[in-house]
Amino acid sequence: MERLRTRWIIFLGLAAVVVISYTMNLPFKTSASPATEKAYKYIETLPESSVVIISFDHEASSLPEIQPIALAMLRHVFRKNLRVIGLSLFAEGTAIGYEMLNRTAGECNRNYGRDYVFLGFKPQYISAILGLGESIRRVFPEDYPGNKTDTLAIMRNIDTYDSVRMVISIADGDRTMQWIEYAGARYNQKVMAGLTAAMITSYDPYLSSGQLFAVVGGLRGAAEYELLYGRRAAGNRGMLAQSGAHAYVIALIIIGNIIFFRSRRRKREG
Amino acid sequence: MRTKIPLLVCLVFGIMMFGQYFSAHPIAKAVYNNILEWWQIIFAFTLLVGVASFARNSLRNISQRKEPIHRSIALAGLLVMPVLALIGGTKTGSPFLWSFQNMLAPMQSTVFSLLAFFVASASYRGFRARTIPATILLVTALIVLIGRIPLAELISQSFPKITFWVQDYPSMAARRAILIGIGLGSMTTALRVILGIERTYLRGE
Amino acid sequence: MEIGTIIAGILTLAIYSFLYRDNPVYKAAESWLIGLSIGYALVVFWQSTIIDILIVPLFSEWRIILIIPLVLGLMMFSRFSSKTSWLSRIPIALMIGTGAGVAIPAMLYARTLKQMSASIMPLISENGTPNIEALVVLIGLLSTLAYFYFSREHKGVIGNAAKLGTYFLMIFFGATFGYTVMSRMSTFIGRVDFLLTDFLHLIK
Repeated sequence: MERLRTRWIIFLGLAAVVVISYTMNLPFKTSASPATEKAYKYIETLPESSVVIISFDHEASSLPEIQPIALAMLRHVFRKNLRVIGLSLFAEGTAIGYEMLNRTAGECNRNYGRDYVFLGFKPQYISAILGLGESIRRVFPEDYPGNKTDTLAIMRNIDTYDSVRMVISIADGDRTMQWIEYAGARYNQKVMAGLTAAMITSYDPYLSSGQLFAVVGGLRGAAEYELLYGRRAAGNRGMLAQSGAHAYVIALIIIGNIIFFRSRRRKREG
Repeated sequence: MRTKIPLLVCLVFGIMMFGQYFSAHPIAKAVYNNILEWWQIIFAFTLLVGVASFARNSLRNISQRKEPIHRSIALAGLLVMPVLALIGGTKTGSPFLWSFQNMLAPMQSTVFSLLAFFVASASYRGFRARTIPATILLVTALIVLIGRIPLAELISQSFPKITFWVQDYPSMAARRAILIGIGLGSMTTALRVILGIERTYLRGE
Repeated sequence: MEIGTIIAGILTLAIYSFLYRDNPVYKAAESWLIGLSIGYALVVFWQSTIIDILIVPLFSEWRIILIIPLVLGLMMFSRFSSKTSWLSRIPIALMIGTGAGVAIPAMLYARTLKQMSASIMPLISENGTPNIEALVVLIGLLSTLAYFYFSREHKGVIGNAAKLGTYFLMIFFGATFGYTVMSRMSTFIGRVDFLLTDFLHLIK
């Protein structure tokens, strides 16, 4: 019963800290990490009409964290007049990616079929990634709404990675690794990632070796990107709550260890 | 026969897909593209088998009165999505997408967010500096937790610098070693599978 | 408020009821989630693969060669009968063999050679000062690899290197834990945003 009570106190404490700090809505000026800045600068310097592939390689479970990253990057890409080929290597990413792409394209008055396209989902991600290197049209004969890929203006003269400047993988797992290991290794395709924070340390070696060009990581990464982009949105909004939650967890760790050491000392003395 | 044919198939396709990496010949490319397509199609059928298996098990459990209500709810959910897709398609504004956005996605992200509470509880209960390795783990976790919040930057710019240094060098080195180990292990296992030494995939029917 | 938002809010609270304890409301929501997930995947897989790259090319464009994956795919259903279940090994063997074949060069290049070459950096800088970071990476890499080397007993030099490798691994796990906490909290913050803004309209 004591353990249950302690558990509920911890849960209620976390909920209270996050709700109160989120409600306060104080704007935060964060400095961008080198990786986020690199991602932003690269997109910023791409010539107009450059083609980028944005792959929504995540599940709905990570949506609250991934969506701010995806929206910030999509808005930037459309503002720079880049052409976007959207696709998904995760079944759930299909609906999410389609909605986000249409939403941000609508904000920037972009035309479907000419400025952007959403090709949809293909299973067996390794096969899809390798297949795109040979022929995008063969892997995706139709786009998600059902149009023949051949008939879309954006797909004219684009059929392999040769015409694509960058693949941006928005992921919550190891799909980005497959982009690096198959598209990057075999076809020399540049790969950038928008990742959940939990995956950041897993990709550090690829970032260090240059196989992964840049990373925008977690809600903090989204806040940094929004700062660089100049539009405060969900990422920035959540920073005070994030700080509060972190402080809460740090306090729990410290308190837990103090109690542990005191009881250990008491046992030794007793 | 029942083992030899699958082993032969595995050997042939494994060698073909490995060999085509080194050939730009049009025939090799054609074979490569076709096999990639077949891979996707067969993979899709495995999902269909999984769905059929789930439906069969659910119906069996319902008839045997093992959690019949929950099984029925799950089965109903399984049927709802294809029916909605058949009626209204899968495009913007369709009932299918509406169900995804207002039921599936919120529930999935909520289930995942439960982990925040359990992580907090685990931090209090289990995160103890009992030994030197445990202390190193704890200190590093604290460095990252402090260094990645904006409040820390307001106190001192050193906090994020220390965090990035730890992340970019010692932490990255360990992860790199793990990656290299996994890479070597994956290659070995792939070779063993192709040569028929590793046959675990043939079991479990 | 839209009906969709109300339903999303109720289902969210139903899932959060698990924090109090396991209960029938949570179980019902969980079962509904499982069913919807499978149904959603079925639709997406069917449309994107079975229809788009099998049925349409086979029956509209007469790509006869696609009969092969069709037959192999149907063989997967042989798993439901104990007499014919061995047939499902063939398409599985095709997938496994194909995956293994493409994996070898990818793993060799991307995970092994490229990572090793990235670790070889000058230990002395141009101005003669030691490159501490390069030294840390090299020592960390070698000691962690020593930890995972189980062909020899961890004694003597290898033992000490493995012990040092343990410490580097703890640094990695600690950093990963810190980022994992950050990630989970972000997901919770997102749900709080939905509940307070869209569902309860308590904040704008």
